[in-house]
Amino acid sequence: MKKQNKSQELGLNLILQELKENPYRKFNLAFSLMVIMPFLVFLYILVNRLFSFNILIGNIGAILLLSLFISVCGFFIGVTILKNILNKIIAYAAQAKHSDQLKSTFVATVSHELKNPLTSIKTNIYNIFAGFTGQINAEQKSVLELCNSTVERMTRLVNDLLDLHKIEAGMVDVRRKACNLAQVAEKQINELLTLADKKSIRIVRDFSDTALCIWADEDKLARVMNNLLSNAIKFTPDAGTVTIKIYPVDKFARIECIDTGYGITADNLSRLFNKFERLDTVKEGTGLGLAISKDIAEMHRGKILVESEVGKGSKFILLLPRDLRIKKR
Amino acid sequence: MENHPAKRILIVEDENELLLGLSTLLKAQGYLTIAASDALFGISLTHKEKPDLIILDLGLPAGGGFHVLENIKSSTITKGIPVLILTAQQGVDLEEKLRFMGAVGYVRKPFEPELLLSQIRDILNK
Repeated sequence: MKKQNKSQELGLNLILQELKENPYRKFNLAFSLMVIMPFLVFLYILVNRLFSFNILIGNIGAILLLSLFISVCGFFIGVTILKNILNKIIAYAAQAKHSDQLKSTFVATVSHELKNPLTSIKTNIYNIFAGFTGQINAEQKSVLELCNSTVERMTRLVNDLLDLHKIEAGMVDVRRKACNLAQVAEKQINELLTLADKKSIRIVRDFSDTALCIWADEDKLARVMNNLLSNAIKFTPDAGTVTIKIYPVDKFARIECIDTGYGITADNLSRLFNKFERLDTVKEGTGLGLAISKDIAEMHRGKILVESEVGKGSKFILLLPRDLRIKKR
Repeated sequence: MENHPAKRILIVEDENELLLGLSTLLKAQGYLTIAASDALFGISLTHKEKPDLIILDLGLPAGGGFHVLENIKSSTITKGIPVLILTAQQGVDLEEKLRFMGAVGYVRKPFEPELLLSQIRDILNK
């Protein structure tokens, strides 16, 4: 353990605290017993005069002594190797433990240090815009609107970064319950209706089974649907159509989000789910939405597929197992 | 500006810029505001002023928001005062924990000012 750095030592201390005992102590005890037992047997032979020096003379004696030497060497080499392995395992676990602690601290710090100033800016912009601090003219209002939209974008980025970090660090709990897919979709459609109306986009619901339920985390599922739907609306020209289809396929539920938008080139398709990847045609968004959606789908042992044709539109398919309680791994 | 009876709201928040923003926002709605920027001062003002509502941040110096909430809810004099939590903290069980401790609501930062105002109206009209 001498070569460990400080962070590993910190992690090791945490592990020892959790174990409430030192694993090395047990390890040493086990090996001491292994040495003591043959020693006691040897002592018993000597005391009872069962041992004769005659057996050590000649070829047989040489073989016996050599085997004894090899056994003793083997024993010590074995102890050293096993101790090294144990050291490495504990050092690795200690590092992982400390790294988890750092990740949690990072999330808490980012939450506090970025979200608090954003809240201050947002509230104060609102106060000035609403005229609570005195009347302002139209030009000043439009500048404030610009500031507010920047704050909104930063807020989205901070939230997306935190969500992605938490998912990838395994810090997110999936709270599964029976979710009615049509109801979750309907809620998201209602949230995005204003955005769709602004572009005169028609949203078509094609729910073959309105009672279709899956065992999933409703909030996270809603986030994926919201992401797919808002993307579809954003990348569809005015007066287009966005269709959301929900139907069962064997043990899966299939949710399709189909738009009559610009479509995605083959080159862009391969980069679509990469983090911070914004396609050439895209000017807004954090570039994290689809990466987060993919992670959420995978957390539910599902996946997201995409089919697209430039100039005709895209189809995003979310495939999720209907009941994870049946298929335990 | 809406015509409210002059309800008194205590804001316990350590970010001065946000404290100023919240005070301005609430005063514009006709509320009277009292401000505290740490946990101990928050507890002391709660006992002294007995406000109609407390808006409480969790990440506070001198004790933290949980301590303030616990103190307010364990005192027979102050336990009836509704406490609305305003925090950047997130957690799977955070909202449940806060409700269990007696908080009347939970708003995550950054919040929409209109949403906060509507929550405040709902709480004070109960």
